[in-house]
Amino acid sequence: MECMISRTDDAEAELVVRAQAGDHRAFALLVGRYQDPVFRFVLRMSGIRDEAMDLTQDTFLKAYRALPAWRPEARFRTWLFQIAHNATLDVLRRRQRVEFVPYDEDAQDAAAPEARDPAPTPEQALADRQRIGMLERALRELPAEQREVLLLREVEDMSYAEIAATLGIGEGTVKSRLARARVAALAHYRGHAGENSDE
Amino acid sequence: MNEHRPDMIELSAYFDGELDPVRQQGVAAHLAACPACAAQLDLLRMLAADFERLPAATLGFDLAGVIEGRLAAAPRPQPRRDRSWRGLLPVSAGAAASVACGIAMGFALFGGAATPRIAAMSVFDTMPPGSLCIGLESCYTNGAKR
Repeated sequence: MECMISRTDDAEAELVVRAQAGDHRAFALLVGRYQDPVFRFVLRMSGIRDEAMDLTQDTFLKAYRALPAWRPEARFRTWLFQIAHNATLDVLRRRQRVEFVPYDEDAQDAAAPEARDPAPTPEQALADRQRIGMLERALRELPAEQREVLLLREVEDMSYAEIAATLGIGEGTVKSRLARARVAALAHYRGHAGENSDE
Repeated sequence: MNEHRPDMIELSAYFDGELDPVRQQGVAAHLAACPACAAQLDLLRMLAADFERLPAATLGFDLAGVIEGRLAAAPRPQPRRDRSWRGLLPVSAGAAASVACGIAMGFALFGGAATPRIAAMSVFDTMPPGSLCIGLESCYTNGAKR
């Protein structure tokens, strides 16, 4: 497994080196590989689809401009998410809107069936839908610093070391912040579950 | 039951496989005997499973094509200038030569050669020009008595 990751990293590093040498096709391949992971991260952070699209494009353009600074010791994904994270925080700070603004819920619902089991029973589908809704709400209500650490771990499957490098914090901070974020998310779950059962 | 009950930070790191192997084993042993902690771990599992069910938002178009088009028109990023000592060598050598030149010129002007006496300073000498004492009258009267 480790060997496979290493081979993937090597192939990716080769693409980055080619892109550094001015090979636009190589950079386009990297964009194709990471456009959706970067987009879903910035979308969950910013909360606005149009803004997330702009941020995704900005992230890749900034990455291209910063390519000469990339060193093979850094994983390209971590480096890219670092750029995306900084760009997103800049936007949130500039617009003084650290609060999460819900994005188009209809669009989420439209995409939801792809993520579910191929043929869930109606009860299961309803329960899944309710739980996903609760998680969406919980995520919206979490502070940005807890939301980002949860997304990088649970959605992007990053190790603590990668999260630390992406966010520019220590691994110990990742460990404690992630635990707090999970507790907070679960508390929101319980809160919303209570609301739902009251309804 | 294992004495050391893991807190949420440790349990969360255990769930992610981020504890050191010894502690990972210790927490596993505790979980096997502690239903309360096992229930906490189940909650973490449930949360992770729900994250997997979140709709995977996609950009919906080929950004690579758009970026590639923009890059074709953009100038190629320039590599960083070499900041190592080798890169700074010509500048350092020039600066050192300038300083050395300045020192040599200063030495030629003020050092080595005899410092010229400034005549104006003799105005403040205790002895007036010509070694005539204009001090006490006794200087002269004593001599006259002899």
